[in-house]
Order: sequence, then structure tokens, then C-alpha cells
Amino acid sequence: MMGLERALIEMLLQFVTRDELNAFLRSPQHTATLVGCLIAVCGALLGTFLLLRGLSLTSDAISHTVLLGIVIAFMLMTGAGLEGDTSSPWLIVGAAAAGVGTVLLTEALHRSGLVRQDAALGLAFPLLFAIAVILVSRFVDDVHLDDDAVLVGEIGLAWANTNSHCFEHCGVLRITPEHPAAQQTRQCANCRELGISPRDERAEFKEVCGNCGVYSPAQAWSAGLLDEAPTLVFFPKSITVMLVMTALTVGFVAVFYKELKLTTFDAALAKSLGFRPAALTYTLMVLVSLVAVGAFDAVGSILVIAFFIIPPAAAYLLTDRLSGMLLLSPIIGGAGAFFGYDLARGLLFGIFPVAEGIAALNAIFGLQLREAWDSSISASVVLTMFVIFVLVWILSPRYGLLASAIRRANSRRRFEDQVVLAHIHNHQGTPSHAIELQAATLHLHFRWTPQKMSRVLMRLRALGFLSLEAGSAILTQRGDAHVHAFRKHMLVAHNIPDIDPTQP
Amino acid sequence: MTERRVWQMIAALLMLGVLLLPLSQALFGLRLTYTVRVVALGGSLLGALSGALGCFAVLRRESLLGDALSHAALPGVAVGFLLAGRQLGALLVGAGIASWLGLRLVAAILRTTRIKQDAALGIVLASFFAAGIALLTYIQSLPDASQAGLDSFIFGQAAAIIESDIALLGGIGLAVAVVLALLWKEFKLLTFDADFASAGGLRGGLINALLSTLIVVTIVLGLQLAGVILMVGMLIAPAIAARQWTHSLEQMVVLAAALGAFAGGSGAVISALDSDIPTGPMIIVVAFALVLLSITLAPGRGVIWSQLRQRENRRNFRSRRLEPGA
Repeated sequence: MMGLERALIEMLLQFVTRDELNAFLRSPQHTATLVGCLIAVCGALLGTFLLLRGLSLTSDAISHTVLLGIVIAFMLMTGAGLEGDTSSPWLIVGAAAAGVGTVLLTEALHRSGLVRQDAALGLAFPLLFAIAVILVSRFVDDVHLDDDAVLVGEIGLAWANTNSHCFEHCGVLRITPEHPAAQQTRQCANCRELGISPRDERAEFKEVCGNCGVYSPAQAWSAGLLDEAPTLVFFPKSITVMLVMTALTVGFVAVFYKELKLTTFDAALAKSLGFRPAALTYTLMVLVSLVAVGAFDAVGSILVIAFFIIPPAAAYLLTDRLSGMLLLSPIIGGAGAFFGYDLARGLLFGIFPVAEGIAALNAIFGLQLREAWDSSISASVVLTMFVIFVLVWILSPRYGLLASAIRRANSRRRFEDQVVLAHIHNHQGTPSHAIELQAATLHLHFRWTPQKMSRVLMRLRALGFLSLEAGSAILTQRGDAHVHAFRKHMLVAHNIPDIDPTQP
Repeated sequence: MTERRVWQMIAALLMLGVLLLPLSQALFGLRLTYTVRVVALGGSLLGALSGALGCFAVLRRESLLGDALSHAALPGVAVGFLLAGRQLGALLVGAGIASWLGLRLVAAILRTTRIKQDAALGIVLASFFAAGIALLTYIQSLPDASQAGLDSFIFGQAAAIIESDIALLGGIGLAVAVVLALLWKEFKLLTFDADFASAGGLRGGLINALLSTLIVVTIVLGLQLAGVILMVGMLIAPAIAARQWTHSLEQMVVLAAALGAFAGGSGAVISALDSDIPTGPMIIVVAFALVLLSITLAPGRGVIWSQLRQRENRRNFRSRRLEPGA
């Protein structure tokens, strides 16, 4: 991991100076946005396939049970005498195993034939999460697995958790008791053992070196042990983790695009062609677990599912092509991450100030709410994604609410036109002409309101399909042609032979 | 299993439930403090309520609706706090309104788009929960100190249950029982054949909304005890366990209520025996153990029985002589 980071930094240093890089990474906004965008890209790519397979809520289950994997791995590590470090690769292995375990448990329940798919999921993940919570509170005391970290995460602090990389003046300092900078202090050697104070006469003393040990360049510099400042770059760990995840995800989707597409849309065909849909599904689930763990610190276990579900759902309303979804959903997710930071600081999409909204609420309902809005960044990112989803839902050119309302209105209008024209065509020139086609009473034959009828008549006259003669509606030449064209079209469409009923 | 056997089983479960506290006092040396009694009672009441209503959720293939609705309640808790301060009533009403809105949003997404149920639930769950977290963070930045403990709604805090909560649970439970009894026929019809119900002139939308409202109320009451994440388990585990023993809805609902009550009570007792075990998660574990028992043991339907039957069939098949042309 360190080597990878170093290579990356060296590449970046080709383009920017060290100070610029450090300043960029030290800004909470830049790091949070970058990490958020990376999570969004991973989530959106994997989520697209989950959505199309109807497995979206599996990401919910996995993101919860990942906690169990982390806890068990942590307990095994401390049991084996290893340092219980929360960023150890073993925790990631444990989390991935827990993710796969969730899927296996769900499938075992489902395959027993006694429990339905959704119920199996709803049984499996509360159980695993409950076990995790019990284990945490029963056996693990000193981890930072508290509520907020588990559920919410804090992407705003991603910048502070860094690895330091040294590029110049990088002497690793080892201070031994003989070193001139070593600080010797006297310490009581048997006080704690005997439970006595250092002033007791039985106390034995020994010389202890207070600052001995190995210093990394960054530690040595901050302890004032170096004369010359080392050239350091501080690189946030989250960025590295999520970069690796993104590379894995993008690589997986790029390499197995064909297989994923086939198994997603026609698993049976894929199987008969010799692919293994199950193997691909499990790989997908492992990646989902890995991304969930990688995003754990940043956005927590509940909010991460928004990254898997909301952007693909929005993209699903915009396009019918898999490639289109894979392109659009990372963009939507990335936009959410980008504008989410602004929302947390009180600006929706960087334009609309939240404070004015709160002020308006205060004014209308007579409340006394604080107007300064300063909120959780990860929650704001999710909210921004949701706002984008709602906008897409309303405005999507093909499936949006607006578009389908317009489409419905159009087809209603067309239908009204057709029935009125057909009515006139049927009665025109028959003996019932005078009764049936009176413009003033025409609405009665359709059981419409007079207003509706006059609206339709007006439209048809404007289109030049009919005219009024002596209070009766009759078809114009154009209207007649239209009716015949439509009749022919319907006959062909329903495969009916064209027999003119007026001919014997 | 015959109908009579199931009723006997329900009776035995109830007996066991009544004797739970005295038994655990005698066997494990449980100290029956006020808190233990209240939490055990609250747990079993909630278990009974959610078990009975969970049957409908499971049978209507809406098992995960409970998950989305319980998460969706969070912004309501926050808004309730902002408007009325720390009063349980206001918080619960806010939670109820928010999860009801979540329900409507899921329905709207399903009706007007081609997004499927799982994704619609996920969208509502995540965005409502995010709104709740954003509001809670905002509340925490307020100078008012009384917001402490609002996030106990996320994980649940069984020890905070007091007598008035029990009264509330009991009252709501009674109301739910009355509604179930009065509208039994309608609920049953709607659960098994919604199309037929509406064709027969039943106001499907209204009954549906009523049933969903009952589920929302149960979830909101359960939030305090089990928290948003585990509530879905409370709702569906007893129902799934009960489903294995019987084919009749009446028995399933009663059995689920009994199993839920048992899980709630014994989970509370176990967590009282060891102070490090939280109550809500323990109830879920007990409930899942009941599911596992039911899936393996239930006569006729369980895994063991179907294995035995398969072996029997295989033996019969092998022993039968297959004659050509026969």
C-alpha cells in the first residue's frame, strides 16, 4: 500500500509542486469530495448490475453484516496477539467473508423452499448485525466501533488520517540510550508490583530512556530532533483505499463486461453457453463488500447503500442501454459527492442557501431555529443524490413524470378527436344525421360535459377536420381523408379484412 | 400438523411465557428488578404485536418494507424534536408521519416508474435516513442540551422503557387486536388475492392503507426497544417461524404473536443475566433461533421431514420394478 502511494505521489509530483499537493490534500473539502467521488464511481458501477438483477437491497444487507466480519477478524487478531489495528488488511478479508456469508445464508434459507427471497434477506442481515452488536458490547471494549462511526462515518475527517511520505532528508532516526538527544529519567521499578509510593524505602529505581525508539522522518521533525526539515507529503489513507477499490471495480466491469451483461439479462442463456453466473454473482458480492468496507470510515454502513442504489436508479430512468447506465450513474453519483459538500455547509447545489429556507420556516411557523446550517457531509451527499434522483424522476425526457403526463394528455386528446370524427363519419349522410350531429347536443351522445365537447369541436375545427353547417357538425374533405386513413391503419394493425359495411 | 396440535402448541408457549420470569429466577438466579420486569413485559408485548402484523407483511411479500419504514422514521423523530422538544409523544407522531410519507414515496416510485420494489425501498431508506442524520447533526449543533440520547432511536435502548411505555404498548396492542378482529375478512382477502378483493367491491386502497398504518405504528413503537436496524427482524422472524407450522392464517397470526412474545421476553431475560448483552440484538437472535427450529423441525414442511420423505420416496421408487411398456 505504501509503495503504491509513493508511486502515485511521484507521478503527481511531475505535474505539481510538493507544497501545492500538500495544500490540496490538507483541505477537507478536496479530500472529502475526492473520496466521495471515488465511492460514488465504485457504488454506481456495481449498483447498476445490482439494480438490473433486482438485488439492490443485498447491498443494504451486506453493508450491515460487514460489521460482523470486521468484529470477528478483530477478535481473532487480538486473540492471536496481533496488534488490533482498524486499518489492517485482515479486517478487509473478514468483511469480504462476511459479505459472501450473508449471500450464502440468504440463499440457504431461500433454497430450503420455506422462506421467500425478500424474507430470507430480512432474516439474515438483522441476525448477523445483532450478533455483531452483541460481540462488540460483550467482548470488544476499546475499538472505535461506536454508533456514529458505524452508521454515519465522517468523510469530512478523511483528510486528517494520512500516511506521511518522505522525499528528502529522510534519515530514519534511532535514538538509543547512548544517543546525545536521549532523555534519561529515573523510574520506580517495583512500585506498582508492591503497591507502594516512590518515596517508600523499599522502592528500587532504574534509569529509563524516555524518548528512545525509532522515529520516522515526520515524527523526528515534529519532535524537534532534526536540523533540516524533511520533504514530506501527507497522503490521506482513504484516497488510497478507494483508489484501489475503484481500480478493482473498473477493471472487473471492463474485463467481464460481456459476461456481466449476459448473466444480468439472461442468466439461463449464460449458463447454457458455458458461463458461470453464480461465480460472477459472488465476485460481484465480494466487490460490494470490499467497497462497503472501504467506504465504512467515510460514510458508514447505512448511507453507503445510497451510493449503490440512488445513482443507478436515476440513470435507469434516463437510458435504456447498459453502457449508458454505466456512464451516467457514476456521473450522477459524482455530482452528488461534489455538491454534497456544499449542502453540508449550507448551499444546495452551491446556489441556494439553506439558511434562507430555515429563515422562511421560522417566519411562517414562528419557530426559533438556528439559521446557520452545518451538517453531516456524508448525509448531505446522499441527500444531494436524492434531489438529483427526484429531478430526474420529474424531468427525464423518456420516463419522467412530466414527459409521461404530456404523453398521456396527448393520447387522451387524440382519442377524443378520433371518437368524435368516427361518430360524425358514421352518421353523416344517414337519416339520423340531424339528431346525431347537432353541435349543441352532440355532447349528450358521448356523455361528456358541454365544455369538453366544445373544446374538442374547437380543436377539430382549428385542425380543419370539420365545419359547422346549420348547427350540425360535418367532416371537411381533410377530416374525411383523416378518418379513412385512420380506419385503414386500425384495420391493418388488427389484421381485419377491409369490408365496407355500406356495401351489401 | 393438525389444527388441534397447533393450538396446543400455542397454549404451551403461552404457559412457558407466563412462567418465564419465575423459571429463570429459579434456574439462573435472575434478580427480578423493576427494570427487568418492565423490559421483559415490554419486549414480549412488542414481540406479540409485531409478530401478528408481520404475518401480513411476509405473506404480501413486503418483508423488507419494514426495514425501509423503520429507517424512514428517523427524520420524523428529528423534526418532532425541533417542533415540540423532547416529548415522547411528539417524537413518535413525527416518526409515524415520516415513515408513512416514506411508504407513500415507495408507492409513488413503483406506480410511476419502472424501478422495482427493492430499489424503490433502498432509495427511500437511504435518503430518509440521510435526512434524519443531517437533521440530528444540525440538532446536535444547537445550544439546547436536551437532545442527548435522540440517537438511541437508531440502536434502540431497551433499558429506557418505563411503565407508561408499557401502557402505550398495551393500549396500541389492544387497538390492533380489535381492528384485526373487526376487519379480519378484509385483511385476509387483501393478503391472498388483492385483485379479487377489489373486484368484489372491497375498498382495497383504504384497507391497504389501514394495514400499512398498523405496521407503521408497530415499527415506531419498536424503534425505542430494538432500533431502526433490527426492527425488520422483530417484524418478520416470528411470522416466518409461525408459517412453518400451519396453513391457516388464523393460527399463523396467533402463533406468530406467541412466538414473538416468547422471543421478546426471553431475549430480555437473557440480556438481564449478562449486563454486557444488549436487549434488542438478543431478542433478534432468539427469534432467529425460533425460525431455525421451525424450519428444521416443523412437521410436514420442515427440512428434516422433507429429507425423510425424499429418502422414503427414493426407496419406494428403487424397490418398484420398472417393466418395459408398463
